[in-house]
Amino acid sequence: MAICFRCHRSGASAPSSVDHYRTLARNARKNKVWPASVPSLLAGHEAIRKWGFQMKSSNGYPLNVVSSQKEEPYTDHSKAKEEQIDSTVSITVVGASGDLAKKKIFPALFALFYEDCLPKHFTVFGYARTQLTDEELRNMIGKTLTCRIDKRENCGDKMEQFLQTCFYHSGQYGSEENFLELDRKLKDKESKQMGFLSNGDNRNFFIPVFPINMILSLQVGKSANRLFYLSIPPNIFVDVVRCASRTASSPTGWTRVIVEKPFGRDAQSSGELTRSLKQHLTEDQIFRIDHYLGKELVENLSVLRFSNLVFEPLWSRKFIRNVQLIFSEDFGTEGRGGYFDNYGIIRDIMQNHLLQILALFAMETPVSLDAEDIRNEKVKVLRSMRTLQLDDVVVGQYKGHTRGGRSLPAYIDDPTVPKGSLTPTFAAAALFIDNARWDGVPFLMKAGKALHTRRAEIRVQFRHVPGNLYKRNFGTDLDKATNELVIRVQPDEAIYLKINNKIPGLSMRLDSSNLNLLYASRYPREIPDAYERLLLDAIEGERRLFIRSDELDAAWALFTPVLKELEDKRIAPELYPYGSRGPVGAHYLAAKYNVRWGDLSSQYS
Amino acid sequence: MALSVAKCPSSSAAARLAPGHSPLRWSTLLRPFPRHVLAGSVAIPSSKNWNLGVACKQEVGTVPVSSPKEAASKNVEIGGSLGLSSEEYRDVIGPNSSEREPTVSITVVGASGDLAKKKIFPALFALYYEDCLPKHFTIFGYARSKMTDAELRTMVSKTLTCRIDKRENCNEKMEQFLQRCFYHSGQYESEENFADLDKELKEHEGGRLSNRLFYLSIPPNIFIDVVKSASKSASSKNGWTRVIVEKPFGRDSESSAALTRGLKQYLDEDQIFRIDHYLGKELVENLSILRFSNLVFEPLWSRQYIRNVQLIFSEDFGTEGRGGYFDNYGIIRDIMQNHLLQILALFAMETPVSLDAEDIRNEKVKVLRSMKPLQLENVVIGQYKSHTKGGVAYPGYTDDKTVPKGSLTPTFAAAALFIDNARWDGVPFLMKAGKALETRRTEIRVQFRHVPGNLYKRSFGTDLDRATNELVIRVQPNEAIYLKINNKIPGLGMRLDRSNLNLLYASRYSKEIPDAYERLLLDAIEGERRLFIRSDELDAAWELFTPLLKELEEKKIAPELYPYGSCGPAGAHYLAANYNVRWGDTASDA
Repeated sequence: MAICFRCHRSGASAPSSVDHYRTLARNARKNKVWPASVPSLLAGHEAIRKWGFQMKSSNGYPLNVVSSQKEEPYTDHSKAKEEQIDSTVSITVVGASGDLAKKKIFPALFALFYEDCLPKHFTVFGYARTQLTDEELRNMIGKTLTCRIDKRENCGDKMEQFLQTCFYHSGQYGSEENFLELDRKLKDKESKQMGFLSNGDNRNFFIPVFPINMILSLQVGKSANRLFYLSIPPNIFVDVVRCASRTASSPTGWTRVIVEKPFGRDAQSSGELTRSLKQHLTEDQIFRIDHYLGKELVENLSVLRFSNLVFEPLWSRKFIRNVQLIFSEDFGTEGRGGYFDNYGIIRDIMQNHLLQILALFAMETPVSLDAEDIRNEKVKVLRSMRTLQLDDVVVGQYKGHTRGGRSLPAYIDDPTVPKGSLTPTFAAAALFIDNARWDGVPFLMKAGKALHTRRAEIRVQFRHVPGNLYKRNFGTDLDKATNELVIRVQPDEAIYLKINNKIPGLSMRLDSSNLNLLYASRYPREIPDAYERLLLDAIEGERRLFIRSDELDAAWALFTPVLKELEDKRIAPELYPYGSRGPVGAHYLAAKYNVRWGDLSSQYS
Repeated sequence: MALSVAKCPSSSAAARLAPGHSPLRWSTLLRPFPRHVLAGSVAIPSSKNWNLGVACKQEVGTVPVSSPKEAASKNVEIGGSLGLSSEEYRDVIGPNSSEREPTVSITVVGASGDLAKKKIFPALFALYYEDCLPKHFTIFGYARSKMTDAELRTMVSKTLTCRIDKRENCNEKMEQFLQRCFYHSGQYESEENFADLDKELKEHEGGRLSNRLFYLSIPPNIFIDVVKSASKSASSKNGWTRVIVEKPFGRDSESSAALTRGLKQYLDEDQIFRIDHYLGKELVENLSILRFSNLVFEPLWSRQYIRNVQLIFSEDFGTEGRGGYFDNYGIIRDIMQNHLLQILALFAMETPVSLDAEDIRNEKVKVLRSMKPLQLENVVIGQYKSHTKGGVAYPGYTDDKTVPKGSLTPTFAAAALFIDNARWDGVPFLMKAGKALETRRTEIRVQFRHVPGNLYKRSFGTDLDRATNELVIRVQPNEAIYLKINNKIPGLGMRLDRSNLNLLYASRYSKEIPDAYERLLLDAIEGERRLFIRSDELDAAWELFTPLLKELEEKKIAPELYPYGSCGPAGAHYLAANYNVRWGDTASDA
């Protein structure tokens, strides 16, 4: 697994010993000189030979250097874990002139470059229909690049270096010819980077002479890897994949394709898309991004559960009363409702982001942290779930609202939204997992636009204390005195556990306080954007945070019937004012399962 | 038990509770009324039962640190006798309570002593300031020195302070308080002198129903004399008479039992209030609440999840010229056998039937009786020696002039105790107490086991023990509760980190936390015995420590010397290591 210690500068605290060796190894490669502390690890011929051999099968880090990684569960030595440092990676952003590319992908690539996380030899290509020169692309990208707040040194230099690796190729999305041209350009860059041993097909070639040929041995086994990021509308996914795979696949290394939602509109269209992609790609070439899985606190969810003794015993129907997954935005479509109106909030947020978090939250302990083991467990959760019923869904749509003299538009006031649209901009749903761990525990989801706050959080509400000795102190409503674990994904990342304690003083009054971990106060460093993590994972072949086809199928199977029913019956969404807390129906839905939304409780939400 | 609801009007929302209502009846009373009736501003009949509903309602919104100043004086009067059983209540109040209000006379025996000046009078004043004392009360100082009332007042006034957050009317209040303070000079064993006191008390009580509280702030050798004289000639005729005694309660099982027998010649068990002021500390009080009112802790509270529990007391100063008393007792008697053992019992007890004092103390006794007497090999003792640091020379314990030359009295001790019951079998409870150490603190540390089959073990490196969870309850200073958890360090790598889920009292509660003595004095006045030590508890506690103490003294075991200001003798670490434990307070990320 490539999860451990990725970029030596990425952690907040001092590097561990493993990091130290990583750094040594990295410096060694950079300088082509071994520091004094390394020879013991590379004592002679055999080590070099072994190392040269292992380079092919590990994820780029010689096992004999990073000794503590020896016990790693390398289940798939033969495939996947390709070397990064001594190979080239070409990242082609298809749809380079689009918004996502400009706002997220190029900045994330630059951040990775800045943090020394990209392989030494890499090329970034923009591909789109617009005619642009390399220079024009660089100007366009240059505007959105920023450096980490806490690391401004050399920012300008680094930016310049990065931009010099960015190129542009203009072409049609459905043209194999145009992609063939791209392939030529890519090959050109790749061979330049690889130097005189340019052809990647000499992996097994090594010269066991020490030390001069060590330099050569660093260059053997190079391969040209290619990553395509499809930042384009879904209707041309398949065209691009066809052309790219036929004419621009890497002959020597891997070729991977990152696709972003929407993955279809329902089980059927998603199934079709998957089938079409698989005509040209194998499962392990497809990287379906769900950028919520790249968020820091979502990543942390499994760590919290599985590396702390105090949480796992509580993680079941025995102690957890309900789980809430809440997403809210404080703005509407704001003139960009064209895409959204075709999908609606359930497809846009619930069926993917919230459901993925739910699956991670509720899964059984995986055998290991390997991507396949984790995804196997997630699929099991999704397949144990009851198909969502219309009764368990509330939909809403925001209407115009005037507040403080400012009038906020309704969803249907958006000129890009068809008049009379019934597309929900808000939805709440109750889901159930019919397995031994979660039987009867409601998982409540809520997602909405144009609400009063912007946040994404996971709330775990615990049951009340059986036979509570202090019940008199809580008055009539024991539910107000239950514990709650809140994982706030954004903004202001935090984890807190609401506990009851005594108010200091002579009386015996109880209070609900938070055991608190506010990330901003513990970790002053900027938290990387989700796209950085996911791009790096894709480059490293780490599939844990990407969605496998069977996961996607299972997710659609849960939501498709209710989506069909909503559309067939033309169910009108409940209107709620822009900037409000959403339709009241959400409360009734929660009340049906004896739940209160934690984010709306009056005290300390 | 006394109603666990609001005690003083100024520190809580309402105290209008009629005593004698069991929790059961109370909740039954509430049930028929829908929530909106209680919550709304519906006119509520003025019978006591209805007021209960109001009190309850106001308790619901557990708003931090709001102190509605709706302190009606009537609340105080009844609130003052909250802790009484219904019979007591009838005895005291009679049928027309509103007219015949009880009065409390608090006699501090040994009024010129240090404890009285530093703790007792200031605590009484704080209670008065917070409107927690009954409307009618009198404070008497009693000691051998000749003094006038005015002299006592001058002496007392020097140590009174107002709460930091409530300075208004402070001087006025102080003046009012001092006007209620009187002095009576007399011999400790003289029944005549106590009879004189009785007369003076009666004068101040003015025919009201009188309750009397004696606080014995005197050396233990005259406990019995004073109790005898006071009970014979200064007991209240129509109210209660209670006696607060402070440690030391003997030196061992025999002397403690002798003291108890002596006291019981003149007093009933429920007149004796043995103070252990650690039980009055805010976070020790909070311990039971944490456990029993949070679902997330109780499931973890056993040998299945807890690997060890540490009770740590350290002071950063030595005896400083006042070692005379200490040398006769040593740190084990002074801190471990009482304070730390009491906290241990509270920590480890089974869920009591109710929060009533007897129910809680029954459970605590069960814990103590499930423990084996401490063995010599499970104890490490130390004594501080002189040390020069930064040009300052710190004295050794035996440099103290009040300490006999060559004293072997331990100023540091560490011990491993075990509770042989189903819940705690095999879990070491480690205690550590010492003077002249590098820090001043008291804390409870609960170290959890490692995660079985930890998926992230590679991220922790070789030492899984460093990645265990730990719950820390810091009793003093800077009261706090925190839970150490593992989380991911933000960033692109997968590196784990131990962070704290934190509740720092100072940042959540702006109000000053009352001193332990305030709570305990108020409890004694209210007859709340939960935080006082019952005779059988005391016996059980001594039984655990007496054989060890005898052995230490008979074998003249020399304590391991440690430098003043250090972190104690190395033996403590070996002791912990014996049980595969690391002291949590010396960890780098404590």
